[in-house]
Amino acid sequence: MIFSKKKITTEYTVEQCTKCGTLTKRKFKDGDTLFAEISKCNSCDGLTRIEKIFGETIDQ
Amino acid sequence: MNFTNFDFDQLFSMSDDSNPLMMLVWILPIILFVFYGQQIQLFVTSREIKKGIKKLDGFRVESRTELINYVKNNLKAKEDPVKKIDKFLEYFTIMPVDMDPNGIVDKVRHTVRSREDYTRNHVKSLSPEMNDIELTQTQTLLEIASSLQMIYKIINHMFLTAKKQNNYPLILPLQMILPFIMEQAEAMKEAIPAIKSGQPLGDGIGPMIVGKMMLDCQKETIALETSLAKTEFENRHLHLLKAEGPGSTVGRPADGLEKIVTENKIDAIIMIDAALKMEGEDSATIAQGFGAAIGGIGTERFQIEAIATSKEIPIFSIVIKQSVKEAITLMTKEIADTTDDVSSQVHEMIRENTTEGQSLVIIGVGNTSGVPQ
Repeated sequence: MIFSKKKITTEYTVEQCTKCGTLTKRKFKDGDTLFAEISKCNSCDGLTRIEKIFGETIDQ
Repeated sequence: MNFTNFDFDQLFSMSDDSNPLMMLVWILPIILFVFYGQQIQLFVTSREIKKGIKKLDGFRVESRTELINYVKNNLKAKEDPVKKIDKFLEYFTIMPVDMDPNGIVDKVRHTVRSREDYTRNHVKSLSPEMNDIELTQTQTLLEIASSLQMIYKIINHMFLTAKKQNNYPLILPLQMILPFIMEQAEAMKEAIPAIKSGQPLGDGIGPMIVGKMMLDCQKETIALETSLAKTEFENRHLHLLKAEGPGSTVGRPADGLEKIVTENKIDAIIMIDAALKMEGEDSATIAQGFGAAIGGIGTERFQIEAIATSKEIPIFSIVIKQSVKEAITLMTKEIADTTDDVSSQVHEMIRENTTEGQSLVIIGVGNTSGVPQ
């Protein structure tokens, strides 16, 4: 349709530290899988686990 | 010159019924609409439907191309897969005769499972190096491509038949169902990127919640593509059941439940699933209820209900409402954010409906794409 806005979905990954519970949101990278322990936490020496992977849609 | 004193009656000869020109102006459209009204409506409606069919054709071609590219680029196919894929896309399923409904569920289950097994084996033959996750992803992509192909063919057939017969009433049902069909077809097309990259879908919220509960437990495969874990919660024995992720599958939860029930005394079943929201309802709202919350063709639900009835086990359900599109495309933030709330509702449900020492089964129903355990 002429007046409909184009929708763009951006994929995000939310990581949570298993020790201090700090949440970090970043853009999704290939290979990200839910519940995978992937990196060290920036706030403590704990490991972060992927808690959520989702898409956010915005009108352009 | 004064332009304000027009006499409209004089200009259109409205007061004079005998003006032949005015008679023609009024009578001609009436004659035209009486004799050619349907053809005019057919013409206008056809234009709208043609646009929809063109879109459907685009979806069909796009999904086929995506599938071929996925097989060629990711799976290292040993030979050119195009011919085989085109053959798969044309496959059809003839559902059993239902004139005598006795035993129809077993017949439908047999037909559907035979088709699944056949597809699985033949998709596997495309590339011997394919792992289980890639296999389920290819199967889902194939399912999407063949569904879009079938939708396009049926809609095009209905349209061309109406045009051929020049029959307006024939085109009416098509005009009515087309918006719903387009919504489903668009959702299917948009599901492709999420399935290819192994991301969780909206329908995966049930498996996601149960998968999280299963994280630190010992897992076993209890039925085809179905995973079981046993754990304890406030002195209750929990049997956690979900499709085996992170591949794109719904597993066979009914078979899993049957095995659990034959080996254990179960006091309650809790099912967590995505449910279609009604128009006007908010997305990602949570609702609790009774009965087996599971979609699909109906055979799984029938089997679960039969098991529960024979053993007199109550079934409780928690559903997360969403639209068709949200259910089969990448999970939205709103749906993902319900995880903690649903988990606490599950725990509350366990406390309310069972006592210490009792056993229950918690089933995360849905496509487990991108959701491990």
